Amino acid sequence: MDIIHENCGYCGTCVCVCPENVLELEENGLIIKNGCTECGNCAIVCPLGALIPEG
Amino acid sequence: MKKLKYDIIVVGGRIGGSTASLFASKSDVDVLMIEKRQEIGSPVQCAEGVTYSAFETLEMEPSERYVRTRVKGAHIHAPDGRKISYEGGIAQGLIIDRKIFDKELAIESAKAGTDIMLKTNVKDLIIKDHKVCGVVAKHLGKTIEIHSNVVIGADGVESNMARYAGIETYRDPKNIASCAQYELVGMDVDPEYLEFYFGSKIAPNGYLWIFPKGDGVANVGLGIRGTVDNAIDYLNRYVSKLDATPVELNIGGVPVSGPIEKTYTDGFLVVGDAAGQVDPITGGGIHTTISCARTAGEVAAESVKREDSSAQFLKDYQSKWRENIGKNLDKSVKYRNMADKLNDKDMNALAEFIETQDLKAISKISVLKFVGKHPNLMKILTEIL
Ligand SMILES: Cc1cc2nc3c(=O)[nH]c(=O)nc-3n(C[C@H](O)[C@H](O)[C@H](O)COP(=O)(O)OP(=O)(O)OC[C@H]3O[C@@H](n4cnc5c(N)ncnc54)[C@H](O)[C@@H]3O)c2cc1C
Ligand code: SF4
Ligand code: SF4
Repeated sequence: MDIIHENCGYCGTCVCVCPENVLELEENGLIIKNGCTECGNCAIVCPLGALIPEG
Repeated sequence: MKKLKYDIIVVGGRIGGSTASLFASKSDVDVLMIEKRQEIGSPVQCAEGVTYSAFETLEMEPSERYVRTRVKGAHIHAPDGRKISYEGGIAQGLIIDRKIFDKELAIESAKAGTDIMLKTNVKDLIIKDHKVCGVVAKHLGKTIEIHSNVVIGADGVESNMARYAGIETYRDPKNIASCAQYELVGMDVDPEYLEFYFGSKIAPNGYLWIFPKGDGVANVGLGIRGTVDNAIDYLNRYVSKLDATPVELNIGGVPVSGPIEKTYTDGFLVVGDAAGQVDPITGGGIHTTISCARTAGEVAAESVKREDSSAQFLKDYQSKWRENIGKNLDKSVKYRNMADKLNDKDMNALAEFIETQDLKAISKISVLKFVGKHPNLMKILTEIL
């Protein structure tokens, strides 16, 4: 997944649907740690469309 | 300087965290609440509607400092524009300023003795011999370990605490309502009524709400599930037709799966959104979170006094919150599953039926006659009942 940082509203909704536990809302924004399987869950729930599949 | 050992640590400083820490501190134990943001209650992720029951649980009078309006009912709009009005019951309550309310609740907790750390992000739990016994937190670049007998996770949808403790939380995007809301100025709305709009065009698998805040100001938002477009796209489409201007944009997710299976383990409890303690039909989580968080605070304090924070003892929290709201939430899950199967036509038919009935005296025969004419509704009802 790619994060469009300027769209992200730091709501944390994506974090709760990640089966790999690789999303984390840090002090300065959302980060994706290693291990994303491109399952797409996070993009479905993001209210602002800040997550898009890679490539 | 904060201590590095507490009886109870609460992670998250909004309504779940403040309620749990307030009632734990009232029971005379040492409590620390940790919030990662620098300001409690901000940003708002809520339509700000709350029932009177939440204040009864808190043993507090609603204060004029945060009460914006008092609503007595709701108008429910079917996809074809048909309107049903409903008064009392769950449609009755208060619209509050959560920013002020959340802060007030934290102040109450602090007055009761809770220590609070802000801008402190809990990064991990300390686990020894399968028991949670503290947290690893980061504050301004420094990592600190703080020990405790019990940790209460009140960290919302972005919850990682429960997972760190080995508790399975919700993950299916079908069970998360993706929400966006504007606080709008210049809204011509009845200050005593909530408005709910249903329909696949406006808010698929969810609804759009208008909650009046008085003086022509209202929260206009929606929650949707399983769509290609984002919540903000649906909201912008709706709002573009209004002659009103936004002063705030709020976004967030609401778990509508019903509560998670297990809400405790050795040395650990989880409350509120993190535990899925939200009504799956309305998406309302304030009164349920407050109810469960009070129980969590009290049970955790009792466990400290008895020097037993084993899962065996903390299980009492789950028994108690289930006793208080478990049945209602289970019923709501059932109704939500039913509502998920309704299409726009079914909703219009239902609205038409209700419109022609005296709600207080609906007869079984009239219901049977009605569903007899609507095979899809009949099928849904027989599956559910
Ligand atoms: C758009 C929207 C509208 C809603 N409208 C209503 C409504 O009108 N009425 C109603 O009853 N309910 C409503 N709800 C639901 C309600 O807002 C929630 O159920 C409620 O706020 C849950 O409270 P909580 O304390 O469990 O979690 P949250 O309010 O999410 O608080 C969690 C806190 O924990 C902090 N935190 C998270 N991780 C960490 C960490 N690692 N370290 C330190 N701190 C951390 C966060 O910063 C946050 O402050 C709405 C929800 C949304 C999204
Ligand atoms: S695509 Fe799936 S695995 Fe990757 S970050 Fe999103 S939810 Fe997690
Ligand atoms: S759901 Fe979207 S807006 Fe919210 S934190 Fe994740 S990427 Fe950002």
